[in-house]
Amino acid sequence: MSHDPEDLFAPEVIADPYRYFGHLRDTDPIHWNARSELWVITGYDDLVWLVRHPELFSSAVIHSDQRPPYPPIDPADRGLFDEVRHFRADQLVEQDRPAHPPMREAVHEYFTPVAMETWRPFVRAAVAELLEARHSALDARHSALGARRSGGGGRMDVLEAVAAPLPVRIIAEMMGVPNEDREHLRGLADKLLYINRGEPDRMRPLMEGIRGMMAYVEPKVGLRADHPRNDFISVLAAAEKDGVFTRHQVLVNTALLLFAGHETTMNLICNGTLALLRHPEQWAKLCADPVNLARLATEECLRYDPPVKSTQRIAATDVERHGKQIKKGDRIRWIMASANRDPRIFPDPDRFDVSRSPNPHVSFGSGIHYCLGASLARIEGQEVFRALAERLPDLRLDTDRFEYQPSIQFRSLKSLPVAWG
Amino acid sequence: MGVGRDVTRPLRITVDHRCCVGNAQCVNLAGGVFRHNANVQSEVFDPAGAPEAVILKAARFCPTGAIRVEDATTGQVLFP
Repeated sequence: MSHDPEDLFAPEVIADPYRYFGHLRDTDPIHWNARSELWVITGYDDLVWLVRHPELFSSAVIHSDQRPPYPPIDPADRGLFDEVRHFRADQLVEQDRPAHPPMREAVHEYFTPVAMETWRPFVRAAVAELLEARHSALDARHSALGARRSGGGGRMDVLEAVAAPLPVRIIAEMMGVPNEDREHLRGLADKLLYINRGEPDRMRPLMEGIRGMMAYVEPKVGLRADHPRNDFISVLAAAEKDGVFTRHQVLVNTALLLFAGHETTMNLICNGTLALLRHPEQWAKLCADPVNLARLATEECLRYDPPVKSTQRIAATDVERHGKQIKKGDRIRWIMASANRDPRIFPDPDRFDVSRSPNPHVSFGSGIHYCLGASLARIEGQEVFRALAERLPDLRLDTDRFEYQPSIQFRSLKSLPVAWG
Repeated sequence: MGVGRDVTRPLRITVDHRCCVGNAQCVNLAGGVFRHNANVQSEVFDPAGAPEAVILKAARFCPTGAIRVEDATTGQVLFP
């Protein structure tokens, strides 16, 4: 344990961000990290203040920050990085006022809680299909080996069986992607995941995913503009007609919806399942009443081990907070993982409690950029945790080693083996 | 503007500050009704400051379902 205490990518910090960022929250909640040259904001009140003042803290981080990427990339890929920057600068999440409100309004209607609720039956059916496919695959393997079914027991990797395919299936449906294109979309989605990775050669697969996505969506935009359907490409195409988006912004934001909803949902499902199975008394509680507890349990999963650990802003002006002088242009990283465990807001914050209420976690952020897909993510979490509790109440962890992707932003398990029966 | 006000029914609009995250959809859509307080949470300053349809849209657009709209006379819940 001799690592540089300022190394945000140290294996100890990746493995347990709660200890590292919790310590910062309790000792220096607005901390200048000299190694990465950024402010680290860890307390709940400071985080909420920061994200609710977009006039002080800009979201146009990629557009404004001219420093090289961290972690570093292959020097030969610098051109690709500039291409990625050009792409990402048009994302909705990068926009400030006055550009942001009309763009957000144009897509917001598609994602309201009421609108998303109509997707619940589709989500429920997709979850059932994925879990049943897993059962029948096991049955087939058992009969091929001449093995008897041992009381319906089995094992699976939650990530591969449910958490990864579910969000892509839902987003494919929302994009109006026909069945025969689903695999192509999955392939592109997997490449887009490199946006949050740390490998030095990550720019190549990422750019392949971005180019592939733009090429796939482009011909659909014109079609949907003339013949709108109940999908979000139609929504974006209509907004282009109204002059709210350029064509490039339509393509970029269609891709954004794919990768913003992909890894985040994967992490909600994996991290939530892990938390539930590590707390057998809480899992038993959920299994006893899954219909009524799925909603609060999902909120607690979101709070306890959030899909996104942290995200960023850039100071739009000089600003002082608790005696610290933040300068215009300074990079800011705000840590939801530690704010969600702030003892001033959450009693007994390190306790996982599936009936915790109220639960004002900040896992979807706050303010004008509050996660557009929050209602959909909630429904996906609720339906997965409910289905697991109803179908596999004897579910248990099938490993004691948990490895995470070395990302500062995402809390992404590499796999989650479980067993039952 | 003023004509609509006289014929529409009075509304009771409340914002639940346990849920409000300052997403500002309501302020952007119905700035005559909602504004942000010092904590950047929404508050109602004029329940008659926009047509009923716009207020209901603002309530529907709230990403956390923090806005409740009732007919102030009958108590009938109009949203959610």
